[in-house]
Amino acid sequence: MPPDADSAISDDVLLARYVRGDRAAARDLTARLLPRVYGHAMRLLGDATEAEDAAQEAMLRLWRTAPDWRPGQAQISTWLYRVTANLCMDRLRKRRPLGLDQIAEPEDPAPGVVQHMQDRMRFDALQEALDALPDRQRQAVVLRHIEGLSNPEIAQVMDIGLRAVESLTARGKRALRDLLVRRRAELGYEDERTG
Amino acid sequence: MKEPDDMAKDRAVDAALDAARASPPPVPAHLMTRVLADAEAARPAVRDRSGFGVCVSELMGGWQGVGGLVAATLAGVWFGFSPPEAMPDAGALILGYENVELLTSSAELTSFGWDLDGG
Repeated sequence: MPPDADSAISDDVLLARYVRGDRAAARDLTARLLPRVYGHAMRLLGDATEAEDAAQEAMLRLWRTAPDWRPGQAQISTWLYRVTANLCMDRLRKRRPLGLDQIAEPEDPAPGVVQHMQDRMRFDALQEALDALPDRQRQAVVLRHIEGLSNPEIAQVMDIGLRAVESLTARGKRALRDLLVRRRAELGYEDERTG
Repeated sequence: MKEPDDMAKDRAVDAALDAARASPPPVPAHLMTRVLADAEAARPAVRDRSGFGVCVSELMGGWQGVGGLVAATLAGVWFGFSPPEAMPDAGALILGYENVELLTSSAELTSFGWDLDGG
């Protein structure tokens, strides 16, 4: 996430300024928090349109909560991860499994863009592997290994104990590894190991 | 201890996760616009300080000035109903009484003379 212009000001202070009518504070908070919220929703849902809707709803809840927010009661970013995850889980529960005809056909590789294609394939493969994980494992792995949260922060977001966090992340990463390893040669990791 | 192949598998997963962390999905511009529009719509109402009443109040010195004015008005009304004994009767002065007595209980001196016409 790119740092905003004045990252020395805490989220709490910016939210309080927003409540007092400061439009610039809303812009700064959005620039600071929306990339995290959208990125998290994107990783949990694997669908850009749904991720946008979930991210917008999560931010809207922040604006509505703002007048009642008590500084120091929690980190706004942690609270937002939690709201985002809950919104995404609701969407995942309602989602129907994709039929074969709904899965996009892979594009034909064009000469000269092999590296780009491989990067794209790895990106998509990771997302597909994440999508294949159980919801809670996926959430824990994304928070730990992509969002970079600490275990205590994840425990707060997911409302579970530290041992449960450790268990979910360990099992999730192991499952992720098994899923990706099956495609290791296809994704070019074999070449990197030998080369 | 992990086998070399396991370490290679771990490296592959770590590489994929590191790449994902290094390149978060860019936020679409239209999403940013939608979120800021929501922020504006949900912004708590800030007290409007531009009304006529507010202008008058501020001309008179804010709430302290208005409070003083109200107190002075109430004191005037009170003196009208129940004037202090040492206060001269304004009605008597207007009617031309030479020797104005200090506040008598006479109706003619306290009613601006209106009852004199009837009597």
